[in-house]
Amino acid sequence: MWLFALPALLINVCIILIPALLTLTMAFFAWDGVGPPLWAGLANFQHMFGDPVFWSALTNNFIWTAIFLTVPVSIALLMAAALLMSPRSRAVVQPIIFLPRILAVAVSGRIFQGMIFSPATGLVAWLNEHGFSIADPLADPDRSLYAVAAVDIWHWWGFLAVVFLAAMRQISIDQIEAARLDGAGFFALLRYVLVPGIRPTLTLMLILTVIYSFQVFEFIFIVTQGGPAYGSEVLATLAYRHAFFESDVGQAAAAASIMSLFGLCATAVYLWLQIRDSANAT
Amino acid sequence: MPWSRRQVVAAIPAATLAAALPRGPAIAQDGRKVVTFWFAQANADGQAALRNDLVDAFNASQDKYRLQLEVKGAAINNVLKVALVAGSGPDIVQTSGPAYLTAIAKAGQVLPLDEFAGKFKWKERFLPALLNTGVYDGKLYALPRDYESMHLFYNKEVFKQNGWKLPTNRAEFEQIADAALAKGIIPFGAGNADWKGVNEWLMTVFFNNVAGPDNVRQALSGDMPWTAAPFVEAAELSKAWYRKGYFGKNYFSLTNEQSFLQVVSGKAAMAFNGTWSFGTKSYGMSQPDTVMDVVPIPGLSPAVTSPLVHLACGATLSIAKTSQNAEGAAAVFEFMLSRSFYQNMNRDWPGKWALPVKDLPPDLLQGIGYPLFEKTIAGLHAAFSKGQFGFTTWTFWPNATNSYMTEAIEQVWLNRLSTEDYLKHIQTVFSQEFREGKVPPLPPRTA
Repeated sequence: MWLFALPALLINVCIILIPALLTLTMAFFAWDGVGPPLWAGLANFQHMFGDPVFWSALTNNFIWTAIFLTVPVSIALLMAAALLMSPRSRAVVQPIIFLPRILAVAVSGRIFQGMIFSPATGLVAWLNEHGFSIADPLADPDRSLYAVAAVDIWHWWGFLAVVFLAAMRQISIDQIEAARLDGAGFFALLRYVLVPGIRPTLTLMLILTVIYSFQVFEFIFIVTQGGPAYGSEVLATLAYRHAFFESDVGQAAAAASIMSLFGLCATAVYLWLQIRDSANAT
Repeated sequence: MPWSRRQVVAAIPAATLAAALPRGPAIAQDGRKVVTFWFAQANADGQAALRNDLVDAFNASQDKYRLQLEVKGAAINNVLKVALVAGSGPDIVQTSGPAYLTAIAKAGQVLPLDEFAGKFKWKERFLPALLNTGVYDGKLYALPRDYESMHLFYNKEVFKQNGWKLPTNRAEFEQIADAALAKGIIPFGAGNADWKGVNEWLMTVFFNNVAGPDNVRQALSGDMPWTAAPFVEAAELSKAWYRKGYFGKNYFSLTNEQSFLQVVSGKAAMAFNGTWSFGTKSYGMSQPDTVMDVVPIPGLSPAVTSPLVHLACGATLSIAKTSQNAEGAAAVFEFMLSRSFYQNMNRDWPGKWALPVKDLPPDLLQGIGYPLFEKTIAGLHAAFSKGQFGFTTWTFWPNATNSYMTEAIEQVWLNRLSTEDYLKHIQTVFSQEFREGKVPPLPPRTA
């Protein structure tokens, strides 16, 4: 039987496992990307742990994770529950909320940068012209991370809502109607029936959110390039900077290894939950 | 006929072996040997110029080679490195300047050009200050594609309306900047929302025009620390000007083009920007009635008393080690040194391909209908020939030092890092890169 899995396994080994192991190996070398790599031991990690930009990037990854585990998930749960209750609006609302997901990241990023936040051409400019004194949040190192997160939330929450709705539709209608007959309102229904009913899907999406949050790159690189003053720097943009601006692949690999470590932890938690649920089921 | 399992199994190692065998040059349909060339960024005008003035003109000029050019965009340095290591790069290797070339040459990924240089007399023809940036370990590895410099672009109508004279020193700059702010005019149009490199354009001006080019050269030679007083003064002045609002309130929000257009429209008075700006048609600087004028940037400290241009090579051209058609690539280089290419390319895409070649004097550009560009190129040609120049960060700073200098200056401007700590870190990173031989060769500041 294992022969059936062989093609997929081979592809995974070639394009995931080997590059991942090579990246991990490069974290212990000094390499400029073109010359011969030189053994560096733990120097790349020592240098990285002594760099304040690494710690602020790591902190930004945690902030990003916290935002994405709460804000888009909450909005998506509310929207999914609302759509479940009003089936007639689904056909119109679902495509609308899903639309940002199918837009290219570069397009979404530029829309927000140029048409919303820009003090020259965006909504911010229009508000300033009409008496509201609003600064571009992307230009403020204390707010730029949140501003980019807003762009990514806009891009992400509709997808979550559609996934949650699909899961909620698997819940027995008897359960929902029984709760309603017992007098459960919208939020009680959500709290006691819908959320527990989609727990496996919710858990999976939360785990994936943690993994994605430590890999986040495109939106930040397109919209702020990690700035200003490293205000929105995350591990992926830091690794990119090391690899391609500073020609220091060893440092980049060290940062990438830390990113993977958090993804690995999230995956381990997911596997543990799956094993526990399987054990409980039997 | 369907293949049997045995045939499929046998074909895999055969295909692998075939892929690993040495390749000959690719042959075009018309039987010519193909020369491949990856170009970095080019706007629509640039792409048309590349197609007409380079590719079509070269292919029509001879019948041995066929040039195939691909525009790869801003990520070319990343793509190129990976391709070179994998042995699948183009024949003509264009890097973003000597700092990028040094690593590639050191790794032996490009061919020494000395043989071709002797054959085509390149060493005699190029300006030594620029050609030397392509020398590594005594061998010539690249030709400079162009020369560039930071300049002071200003709106002469705004100056005239306000009775301002062109500033000649720091005090006069600050006087005009304060007067501009009082009138609601942005003193210097500047914005880095689309390109962080704008930070280093400004720092090139501050390091050279405040600390002085001799001190910069000494620091790049490892004879003076970056923490020395002249560099402290330079970084402090950049911070003071940023915090006074001389670069406007929206430096981090505006793109470079938007900020330059502020100068053209009169919302801003002047800009420190590069000579590549001549290639952007929307600025209208080629029009006879343009409101813009341009001069070298005056000194900003008692140490720098006269206007200064900054030696920059925006791109280098080499031949890949794995190229199967080095002769063809050299033939393309030789074509680029022709008078017709120089005139046509500079007419259609000004500022991008100003070849620093002695027998292509700037007066060849007379008649292309772009007086501001012509006078600027003439000034650069004269200054670079005489050794009167400063050193741009993107040409002479090694990669990691340059990256930190560019990124972390924002922390200084925003009061998140002290000038001392900023320069101390620059010194630490630079010392390591200096020890590793990553500083590109420095031309002498003499004729």
